[in-house]
Amino acid sequence: MACAKVPLDELHVTEPFGPQGKERTLPALHPDRKEERCFLAYKPPPEDSTPALVEEFLEHAQFISEDLEWLLALPHDKFWVQVVFDESLQRCLDSYLRHAPRGLDPSGLSSSPAVADMQRNIHRFVFMVFLRMATHKESKENFITPAVFAEIIYNNYLFDIPKILDLCVLFGKGNSQLLHKMIENIFTQQPSYYGDLDETIPSIIQVFDMILQKCGIQPENTGNSQPLKLNANKCLTAMSMPEEELADLVLYMCDTCTTIQSFLDTFPEACSTFKQHNFLNRLSSFYEMAVPDLEKAVKKRNFNRSLQEDMWRRISYSRKKMVEIAHLLLQHTCLQPILEGSENMVSYVEDLLQDFTAFLQEKRFLADYDEQFPIADDISLLQQAFPHLDDTRTSYLLQGVESSWEFVGKKRSFPSSANHSTGAKSKS
Amino acid sequence: MSPPRLTGALRSFSSVSKQDDLTQDIYDLKSKRLKRQEIFARDGLTWQKIVQFFTQHLEKKDQPAANHELKNILQAAKQIVGTDHGQDTIESAGVFLFKTFYNKDQIGHEETRAIKQMFGPFPASAAEMSCAAVGRLVAQIGESQVDAFIQTQSSLKTVNRSSIFGRNIAFSFDTYVLDAQDPLPWSEGTDTEQDMDF
Repeated sequence: MACAKVPLDELHVTEPFGPQGKERTLPALHPDRKEERCFLAYKPPPEDSTPALVEEFLEHAQFISEDLEWLLALPHDKFWVQVVFDESLQRCLDSYLRHAPRGLDPSGLSSSPAVADMQRNIHRFVFMVFLRMATHKESKENFITPAVFAEIIYNNYLFDIPKILDLCVLFGKGNSQLLHKMIENIFTQQPSYYGDLDETIPSIIQVFDMILQKCGIQPENTGNSQPLKLNANKCLTAMSMPEEELADLVLYMCDTCTTIQSFLDTFPEACSTFKQHNFLNRLSSFYEMAVPDLEKAVKKRNFNRSLQEDMWRRISYSRKKMVEIAHLLLQHTCLQPILEGSENMVSYVEDLLQDFTAFLQEKRFLADYDEQFPIADDISLLQQAFPHLDDTRTSYLLQGVESSWEFVGKKRSFPSSANHSTGAKSKS
Repeated sequence: MSPPRLTGALRSFSSVSKQDDLTQDIYDLKSKRLKRQEIFARDGLTWQKIVQFFTQHLEKKDQPAANHELKNILQAAKQIVGTDHGQDTIESAGVFLFKTFYNKDQIGHEETRAIKQMFGPFPASAAEMSCAAVGRLVAQIGESQVDAFIQTQSSLKTVNRSSIFGRNIAFSFDTYVLDAQDPLPWSEGTDTEQDMDF
């Protein structure tokens, strides 16, 4: 058994060994101490409720559920031996993150009570296993040296950026505080994850570019830098692509926006890394280009009515999520430091005004953003926190906001606080 | 198939994940069951010990009947595991059936599930035969004595639920869902014909 007050990575244990029951001493974290448990990879519930398929799912899932329960009941040292050396366990966890049904999936969550119950069991167990893997100090007696913990989780890919994003979208809605603690600990102990995040963001931007290209829209940054392909004019658009492809594209956009929003909402410390990649501008220009095209296609093409409604709701949901992402980025990289009275307040103010000014070109985005998060309120806060704010500049900005509402033909459901604010300012 | 996901693209196109071939599962249900049987076979309770227990605790006159029931259990075990397996496997299955049924009057959902988890699909008649045989056997000695015997012999630990990590952690099953309240542009009397582009 493990001794007290020694980190797991320095601990040695004496165990019976061989048929004669001789004893041997070996490091607590040693592959020989692993149990051959043979974790199964997770498979999602069947889409139709054919009894044979449901039965097969339940049988398969029962094994996974029992194995994860067994894993969570293991003492600290045995748990980590299994986590580090059992490849089948890591495959099982990874397969759950990849294939577990999400609330936003078209097939949704199962209606069969037995399947739903089993799914809930596994869902909770998977979360608890990740939570335990993100905890380097479980109790006074059970802990790992932080530097060793950092190496273990990083070198064995116990966590990586796609897994962390999956965790946020699967569990973040109701467990954000716990998830924040987990992710914060992972990033704090192992700063290499910031580097990985930095490497991942261009791929996220590429996903947005790919959606635009599939809609036959040339992403802004590639406008003049890349020669057009000879068959570029034969490119399909949202209006002409096959129905299935359009549905997939909308699903993809919805998943992408939900995933990023849930990640930034859970772990706002990542906002600055996104900002370094000029993500805000890329997002707002994507919104401006893709949303009207996709909305038009969904509205005007002849679809099965329920698919059409589902796609429309997905686009609306994606719009909300994109606006929320923009707000999170502005909130955590500019507004909050300003309100907290940071040292470089001037540069934060300048950044915020520049971001707002950049939105002026993206009128649909700006109007939708302003509807959810009134820019006048932020300007008003700025004026209080930073009295030297250039009035001409803020008035120009607020007029731009008003004209974006007019441009998209929106009407405010309440008197514009922008007008109040501008008016108050000009009177003063 | 899972719908298209951002994290799927990131796993494929970025270099921050382990590049594994996940198209082939390492284990399937069959290999998992075999592994389970293997773990069970290492349990301290063996068929020999069960036979010995009844020999020691029954009077000589009752032993022929007990031997008959023990044979019935092994016969049922053979039907459940199949004829391709050796005596050790059959005896191990016999132990499993004995442990499953010694405190049960009939085969319920739990017992059916447990046998299927261990051996896969099985003939119901074999399960019924073994359940009845175990019942008659246990009746000769008494359930409490058999229970005490099993507890002292078994080395396989059942999961101690009070020691499970996270048992006291509040967990929410909330998930992101589409907002069904989002207005549809064509459901509020909007005439979609009006803004058609020609």
